[in-house]
Amino acid sequence: MKKYHLVRRADAKLSRTLIFYAVGILVSLTIGAIVLGVLGINPFDYYGKMFTIGLVGNRYGYKSIEGLLKIFVPLLITSLALSLSFKMRFWNIGGEGEFLIGAITASIIAFNSSGMPNFVTVLLMCLAAMISSGIIGIAIAALKVRFNTNETLMTLMINYIMLYVIRYIGETKADWNFFLREDSERPKFGTFPDSAVMTGIPMGQFKLLWSVIIALALTAIVYVYLKYTKQGYEISVVGDSSATAKYAGMSVGKIVLRTMFISSAMIGLAAALTVSASGTISDTVTNNVGWTGIIVAWLSKLSVPAVFVTSILISILQYGCQAAATQYPAIDSNYADLLQGLILFSVLVADFAANFKIVKKEEAKNA
Amino acid sequence: MKKLISMLVTAALAVTSVFALAGCNSANGGGKASNFKVGAIYINSQNDTSGYTYAHHHGITEGMKKIGLDPAKDLYIVDNIPEDDEKVKQAIDQLAGNGCNIIFGISFGYINAFEAKAKEYPDIIFSHATGYLSNDKNFNNYFGRIYQARYLAGIAAGYKSLELKNNNIGYVSAWGTEYAETCSGINSFAMGCMAVNPDAKISVYEISTWGDQQLERQAAETLIDTYGCCVIAQHCDSAQPQIVANEKGVFGCGYNSDMTAEAPKAHLTAPVWNWDVYYATAMKAAMEDPANFMTKVGNYYEGLKAGFVDVSPLTANCSAETKEAIDLAKKLMTSGEWDVFSGVKLSFSGAAGSVAVAKTDAALKTNDGTEIVAAGGASVEDGVIQGSMNYYVEGVTQVN
Repeated sequence: MKKYHLVRRADAKLSRTLIFYAVGILVSLTIGAIVLGVLGINPFDYYGKMFTIGLVGNRYGYKSIEGLLKIFVPLLITSLALSLSFKMRFWNIGGEGEFLIGAITASIIAFNSSGMPNFVTVLLMCLAAMISSGIIGIAIAALKVRFNTNETLMTLMINYIMLYVIRYIGETKADWNFFLREDSERPKFGTFPDSAVMTGIPMGQFKLLWSVIIALALTAIVYVYLKYTKQGYEISVVGDSSATAKYAGMSVGKIVLRTMFISSAMIGLAAALTVSASGTISDTVTNNVGWTGIIVAWLSKLSVPAVFVTSILISILQYGCQAAATQYPAIDSNYADLLQGLILFSVLVADFAANFKIVKKEEAKNA
Repeated sequence: MKKLISMLVTAALAVTSVFALAGCNSANGGGKASNFKVGAIYINSQNDTSGYTYAHHHGITEGMKKIGLDPAKDLYIVDNIPEDDEKVKQAIDQLAGNGCNIIFGISFGYINAFEAKAKEYPDIIFSHATGYLSNDKNFNNYFGRIYQARYLAGIAAGYKSLELKNNNIGYVSAWGTEYAETCSGINSFAMGCMAVNPDAKISVYEISTWGDQQLERQAAETLIDTYGCCVIAQHCDSAQPQIVANEKGVFGCGYNSDMTAEAPKAHLTAPVWNWDVYYATAMKAAMEDPANFMTKVGNYYEGLKAGFVDVSPLTANCSAETKEAIDLAKKLMTSGEWDVFSGVKLSFSGAAGSVAVAKTDAALKTNDGTEIVAAGGASVEDGVIQGSMNYYVEGVTQVN
């Protein structure tokens, strides 16, 4: 029996990676097409609608673009934030929880803001969300720095704690609970007053929300921060080897605390922008960006421009899947999820195959 | 390598252009079918085989067939939409963009989004199940008097308890007094039981979720083993309580669909919805005269009379007197002569073949003795429709 080994390819080539990606996506789309064919649906038709996010023949196409951007903005910011902490080898998988904390504090301000100027309210919401999420981030980082706790567990658990907090708020009818609609017998989250709803730049019927512009600006800032500042350099040194960082005279603890604060605060900002753009909160407000963001960050190899592109592609995939499924009564969102999963999985496999190769054991020594 | 890349690029371009063409074709071909398009937003999937979404989807497709629409062409669905305003709004935008003329939302929590979008799209009719908001142009709500059917199921359970000489009747419920929908069903079922067996005691086990097969099972087991119940009624998503009743050799009343197949030895009858009755009415009105939708259909709360709710066919497990008594009660309700939540109580007597119903004035009281309706007073069914009912009537106890 021959034994095989995985060996990292010495020559990482972008062209090879792209070809592997293309093959991976093609394979997943073919599997999806077979399923569609079995259901009696023309796969070309379906994929056409999917990749054009249902814009062809849509009488409110500009709303589709708005909807797509509403999915894109939180995903982009969260993925950037997670990349920051991953770069430092700090496994922050608490994006969901940090997002929810920000969403809750922003909503506290929003629900009590009637009469306040819009700009001031939204700014306050963003600040409150950034501070509250940032504090949670810094607290978990402090536990890690001080007691060497496992940050993966700590951040993971925050997700569930916050999920149940928001569910509790959403399901508890009480005098103190200003989150809920007052006129409803059943508990139901209310709608923000206009003072807390994000505005934008009107372009004909289309409205470009400020949150999109903020997200784009933030992408540029993070890029510069990581590439051209001392703090950005410190993050990558800590990520490569915290011992090296220590010998170089860096205060590792301080860098970890600072970076986790920035990372969580950015996720808080994403949350504030999201609730303000939608004018309400719910227990599904995160749209799973805390999880999807991890995939985006890794697919992008923690590179900021790649995060930007990957976020766009995944948003199009998500939105397009739903848009296409809407037009076929037989196709439900389970199929859309299946297809998304297939595509992401095959890209991950392709990525793996582009970076590693399988060699027989005897060759392994020479490879 | 370069060759390979250029080949891939060519292939990608070819594939994209095929997609683009396909997109155009379908956009042009879309006009062939009827111009009337129906949109639906579901909390679960249209491919479910039982449960709430299944019942609505079945109703919508059957309703469409009734009025000559083709569900395969004219129906647009956005499924698995949680009660999140942003997601519901985006779903509505999708359906509006596809040219839907009427949009149904089946879950209560869609209410904010429906309210907002009805203003944004004045040409589309918005129809929201279980809600309480509407406007006078293009936004209504709909629900049915399922409590009337529950009363009938209660009669079946009452006769069974008399036959078995066991006054304990169990009820597995998603929620208790938190929701008018659940407590009105419990109350009505209990009054149906007591109209036949005045000594009947209804024990409610609340599972605090609309559906969880494990909890539904456990609740039924507790009611049978600990509380000695001989009939298990239910207000939850799956047939588990009936399956447990079947296993343990007692009887039961299902909900939503005829559960005889799941529990052949136990099932008596189930209160069922005929959603297609509403969906056909609403779609027809929206198709023929959308401007007058709110005067022609309006907020819709039909019951036994319109056939919107009913009980499933009685099985051979039912006691002999059941059918006659149910028919008598049904007649009183469909004629509008009597309603469940009034100050008049029904009582059934007599053997099979000569079952008679008597009406007596008696106050409607909660289980802690508070009077809701004075003896002989009018029905407070509005409390069910508007969702303010929040009590159990006499004879009902929540055990957990």
